[in-house]
Amino acid sequence: MARNEPGGEPLIARDATYHRAPDALRARIRTSLAAKAREETRATAWRWGGIAAAFATVAALSWNVAFMQARNADEAILLAREVETAHVRSLMGEGHLNDVISTDRHTVKPWFEGKLDFAPVVLDLAPAGYALLGGRLDYLDGRPVAAITYRHRLHVVSLFEWPAERGARDAAPRLQSRRGYALVHWRREGLEYWAISDIDGSDLLQFAHALR
Amino acid sequence: MARLARFEAQVLPHLDAAYNLARWLTRNDHDAEDVVQEAYLRAMRYFDGMKGEARPWLLAIVRNTCYTWLEKNRPGELVALDDAAPNVADTQSLNPFASPSDGNPEVILLQSANRKLVNQALEELPVGFREVIVMREIEDLSYKEIAAVAGIPIGTVMSRLARGREMLKRAIESRMRRAS
Repeated sequence: MARNEPGGEPLIARDATYHRAPDALRARIRTSLAAKAREETRATAWRWGGIAAAFATVAALSWNVAFMQARNADEAILLAREVETAHVRSLMGEGHLNDVISTDRHTVKPWFEGKLDFAPVVLDLAPAGYALLGGRLDYLDGRPVAAITYRHRLHVVSLFEWPAERGARDAAPRLQSRRGYALVHWRREGLEYWAISDIDGSDLLQFAHALR
Repeated sequence: MARLARFEAQVLPHLDAAYNLARWLTRNDHDAEDVVQEAYLRAMRYFDGMKGEARPWLLAIVRNTCYTWLEKNRPGELVALDDAAPNVADTQSLNPFASPSDGNPEVILLQSANRKLVNQALEELPVGFREVIVMREIEDLSYKEIAAVAGIPIGTVMSRLARGREMLKRAIESRMRRAS
């Protein structure tokens, strides 16, 4: 009975009860551990599944975006070509520049009424150096559009307008040039704008900004 | 699932030690079972970070779980211990067992104290002293292991043991006197 610590201190509680775990507790713990392990395995599977799904989604989206961008780029080039063709043809020979000839926007704008399913923006920009010449109907991007003409010194500026796709965001004027022509495209408040002329690109950008 | 098998092989053999500590700290079968079950679930969560021996590692988790349980259910039992300085001379002068004393009648009396009486006296010890005595004398952990489980310096383990034993001895003696 007389047991001591190695240092000589007595072990008073040596004979106190050693409480052994009941068998039922052992069984209960094993069950709960197994359940927990299954849960964790499932959670891990979900996590990896989720990551895989996320990757697939990103891949699909990137592909779509790339595809859309490529398609959009192609379409933008085609459209620029259409704009150029419409502008040049309107100026050729006995061309068809205007159906309504007026420097008065209050004459030009109402002329489109009933001819188009939207109201084009027509402004008097004479103070900025762009005098209104008139307007006509044209056909671009598979739909009837408004073509408004302005004169800048001896040059004609054609401005094409038509409704943008639903939900399309505004886009700032962007300049490009094709065969000596300057083209500026922008989108604002639901309308697509294409301006084209043989004037300087910077002048045409200025025109675009004056219209906005 | 391989992880579960490893956990069961390394940690489940120490279930008795876990239960013994929890039972001494909660002083109640039912609560001890709940605490131990929860501690095992926690242990499995932290298993990948286990270092060294499984038994002290598991007991540290069991002890933490017990303390959380005590804080919630019996906050009154968690008194801060003043480990300041029971200096060795004091402890020894108080402790007649400090020197070899097999012939001392008091020792013989104490050693004949029955298990029930020791159990009762130990259960009534403040938890901070009770746990070091349980780990040292019933569970046979080394000072170093106790220090690791309780998160205190080895010197504190030793001083708490000395003070705890002194308190326990007095409690047993007074119970014996009352009984006789």
